[in-house]
Amino acid sequence: MRFDWSTLALQTVNVLVLLWLLRRFLFRPVRAIIAARQASAETLLADAAATRAQAEAQAADIARQQERMAAEGQRIIAEARREAEAERATILAQAQHEVAASRDAALAALAREREAMRLGLEGEARHLSVIIASRLLGRLSAKAIESALLESLLRRLDALSDDEREALTVPGAELQVVTAEPLDPASRTTWTQTLERVLHGQHNLHFAVDPSLIGGVELRGTHARVRNSWQADLERVAQELEKDDERLAVA
Amino acid sequence: MTESPLAIYALFHLGPIAVTEPVAVTWGLMLLLVGGSILLTRRLALHPTARQAALELLVTTIEGQIRDTMRVAPARYLPLIGTLLLFIFFANWSALVPGVEPPTAHIETDAALALIVFAAMVYHGVRARGLRGYLATFAEPTYVMVPLNLVETITRTFSMIVRLFGNVMSGVFVIGIVLSLVGLLVPVPLMALDLLTGAVQAYIFTVLAMVFIGGAAGDDAEGKDNKDRTP
Repeated sequence: MRFDWSTLALQTVNVLVLLWLLRRFLFRPVRAIIAARQASAETLLADAAATRAQAEAQAADIARQQERMAAEGQRIIAEARREAEAERATILAQAQHEVAASRDAALAALAREREAMRLGLEGEARHLSVIIASRLLGRLSAKAIESALLESLLRRLDALSDDEREALTVPGAELQVVTAEPLDPASRTTWTQTLERVLHGQHNLHFAVDPSLIGGVELRGTHARVRNSWQADLERVAQELEKDDERLAVA
Repeated sequence: MTESPLAIYALFHLGPIAVTEPVAVTWGLMLLLVGGSILLTRRLALHPTARQAALELLVTTIEGQIRDTMRVAPARYLPLIGTLLLFIFFANWSALVPGVEPPTAHIETDAALALIVFAAMVYHGVRARGLRGYLATFAEPTYVMVPLNLVETITRTFSMIVRLFGNVMSGVFVIGIVLSLVGLLVPVPLMALDLLTGAVQAYIFTVLAMVFIGGAAGDDAEGKDNKDRTP
């Protein structure tokens, strides 16, 4: 065995050259790419951290907005509740008022109906009383009634003033003598003579029949008439009764 | 009878310099390592392929060994330590190629490697401590230890040479003897053992280089460089 110094020198140079070459073509590129990856990863982590911080900030903002919205919602609900309460009270008062008004209107209508019904019933009662009186009077003797009513008519003609008498007896105009039943010729003659005497002169007398008079006689001139019949009397009684009812209602 | 594995022959001459077989094989290994490095690092990307991932795993593993052994940021020492590991590993395993004898089976190659480690040890010691500080380390713990420390520095370098040379050479030697006796297949287990020994010796040589350089750098390794140590 011998030691070859030239081989030692060559191998030393070889290893040193290899060291430089591997450093140039192996270790430096690999370390560079690892460092680049680490930098990229750190950048990504930094970006992720920034994104996370941003997301957390946004989440906090959203949470605050939710809280504000919740508070706003509560406020709106409370306000709506208050408004609803006020509206309900208003509607309730209005309803109560309307109910009271309706009740008053119904009571008034009821009173009016009752009054109308009362008046109707009273009118009906008056009508019935007139009918009853008419039927009762119809049972009396026509002659007796006629005689009595003629006297009564004469008294009323005597009580007329001159103006009233002139309004009743216009010269040339027809003066109707209306009775409930037809007069016989004797009675007509009697009536003619009596009226000429009372009315001071001859007049254009015309005899007519109106059963609604029930009994009595009426003189119907152009501008006036003298009513002296049961019908007129009953109408006056009925008018008096109505006047009494109106006075009681006003009171 | 095969020729002695200890013998060294010149394959050709470049002028006055005789190019021996270990040198030629080393050039082949250099071509392989540099060419492979260029090919592997040609298209490095942030999203690595499986090949790139394996390459990065190798580099980061070496860095991890440097960090764990020397307690220092590995960037400054990676080219030297990585080159030693790769070269010795591939040199030891070059025995797989028929007719090729590992360069590390010749003491000149091991001596060249140990010489480089010795130079690196002195360089980093002086760089870290200064010339006076580095020389002062020979007087630790007392001046009485100066001769012993000097001898230790020399002998441990020689121990590296002899350890690597002895292990690799012995493997080649044993395989050569067995081959001359029984021929085919019987040396295969021994060759496998030789591969294991070659890998282990590459690791041991590299670790020893890290320990010696780290010891020489001293405070630099444990102090200043430690600041940029990545976790």
